[in-house]
Amino acid sequence: MAITRINIGPVHPSTHGVLQLVVDLDGDTIERVDPHIGYLHRGVEKLTETRMYMQNPPYMEKLDYLAPMSYDEAYVSAVEKALGIEVKERAMYIRVILLELQRIASHLFFIGTIGNDLGQMFTLFMWAYMDRDKVLDLLQEATGSRMFYVNMRLGGMLSDLPPDFEERTLETLDYVEKRIKEYESFIEKNPVFHERMKNIGILPPEKALDLGVTGPVLRASGVQYDVRKNSPYYVYDKLHFEIKILTKGDNFARYKLRLLEMRESIRLIKEAFKRMPAGDALGQPVKLRSPPTKNKIVCVSREAPKGELMMYLVADDQKPYRLSIRSPNFINLMAITHMAKGLRTADLFATLGTLDLVMGCVDR
Amino acid sequence: MAEEYPEEEFKIAKKEMDRLVYESLKGREVKPNVMFAKMSDLSRALGISKGMVKWSRVNSLWPMQFGLACCAIELMGFGSARIDAERKGYLLFRSTPRQSDVMLVAGWVTKSMVPEVKRLYEQMTEPRYVIAFGECATCGGPWFESYNIIRGIDQVLPVDVYVAGCPPKPENLFEAMIKLQEKISGKIED
Repeated sequence: MAITRINIGPVHPSTHGVLQLVVDLDGDTIERVDPHIGYLHRGVEKLTETRMYMQNPPYMEKLDYLAPMSYDEAYVSAVEKALGIEVKERAMYIRVILLELQRIASHLFFIGTIGNDLGQMFTLFMWAYMDRDKVLDLLQEATGSRMFYVNMRLGGMLSDLPPDFEERTLETLDYVEKRIKEYESFIEKNPVFHERMKNIGILPPEKALDLGVTGPVLRASGVQYDVRKNSPYYVYDKLHFEIKILTKGDNFARYKLRLLEMRESIRLIKEAFKRMPAGDALGQPVKLRSPPTKNKIVCVSREAPKGELMMYLVADDQKPYRLSIRSPNFINLMAITHMAKGLRTADLFATLGTLDLVMGCVDR
Repeated sequence: MAEEYPEEEFKIAKKEMDRLVYESLKGREVKPNVMFAKMSDLSRALGISKGMVKWSRVNSLWPMQFGLACCAIELMGFGSARIDAERKGYLLFRSTPRQSDVMLVAGWVTKSMVPEVKRLYEQMTEPRYVIAFGECATCGGPWFESYNIIRGIDQVLPVDVYVAGCPPKPENLFEAMIKLQEKISGKIED
């Protein structure tokens, strides 16, 4: 049969940003998908080389705009490692709490957009965005900003948590926990959702490891890998949580895993509040000139909501000589070429949606 | 450690690149007034007063779902439950330019994206309005030194309202939309 080649994007409501897909179709069955990226490229890695160390966090945050704090934190800890600065213990707990709140916000956004990708316009999105706003309110209270919080400083934080933050956080978390249950009943009692999600876009574990995908996409395929457990940072080794895995590796598993992860994050935050010591959490004030470093190469690895994030920093005198970012989104996107083979056209977007991509991080 | 390159060479190359991009776009000027762009044409065709046309235009604006980058997340916040833009006449975000009349440029515009933005603008029905949402669309924002960015969407499209902030809150967009309504109804001069 003849192959039809169609173009999707770069401006398309379902591609979550500016992504162009060239799709070869045999009837309605997909033969080949070719993602064309680069419509958002602005040269972040090059720009960081022209800035002082602590002028860069705002650039890092604009990579993944659904989880800016994870990126900010990864960069700052790379600089801390290069300069040999210890993080205060209370600051570690505050960072863990804020990072897990950020993970919840990111996963809530995923739940909102997956409804749109399946053609169920805006109901689920309205619900999830409303709850995400509640989590963002907490972050705004703690950092002063709604979306881009440049609140990490070398060795600590910009400011301590506000008074009564714990009570309000626990209140909101109880609310979110209740809502997760509601999402489950709202989504999973719908037969259409099962039809569209189950046994579609299967990524077997061997293939997932070959492609190098990480994060919820890998764990939904049944591979137990999480940076928080495998090479713990901060206080993750003192806190009790499980790495949830699901074995199926299809769209439904990827959706379900994010709900399970949100529950684990809630558990983590509650425990972190109980164990958090009193004391000082403030970091060094930002100086225009950071202490000089010579030819030091460091690499930090973090579990961002989308997958494993690495910052490879070659530190020079006052500025980074080279900063290379291992973006989880970029590597997860390449899995679509494998997963899309044999799917129907409509299922391509459901599969793309469950990868939960942010194009700003893919293009950099 | 780093080998120094002469600065002049870079500047010349950058200038040349900018020139090439704008030369290539020169022939594709946006032509106004397709059919009912003028209020008097429409009122004559439908047999209603100009005030009626103006009123309906102000109170039913359809924004286009066109998110580029970070600001698009706050753009979605504008349509979500907390702000509820529908009470002011902003209906659902449309997925196609042919059904919409407000273009919200939310995010940085790269040089490879400029032809696409222009094409989308040309596909929109007249009369059409552009809101530059956020620092990047207004002036280049934090990327003004980048080699792949145009510094402000107003180099390519006529902009009606600018919104400052990185990113602006959904409330700021709401205010900008009210400003746009005032501009259409003639309360604010250009």
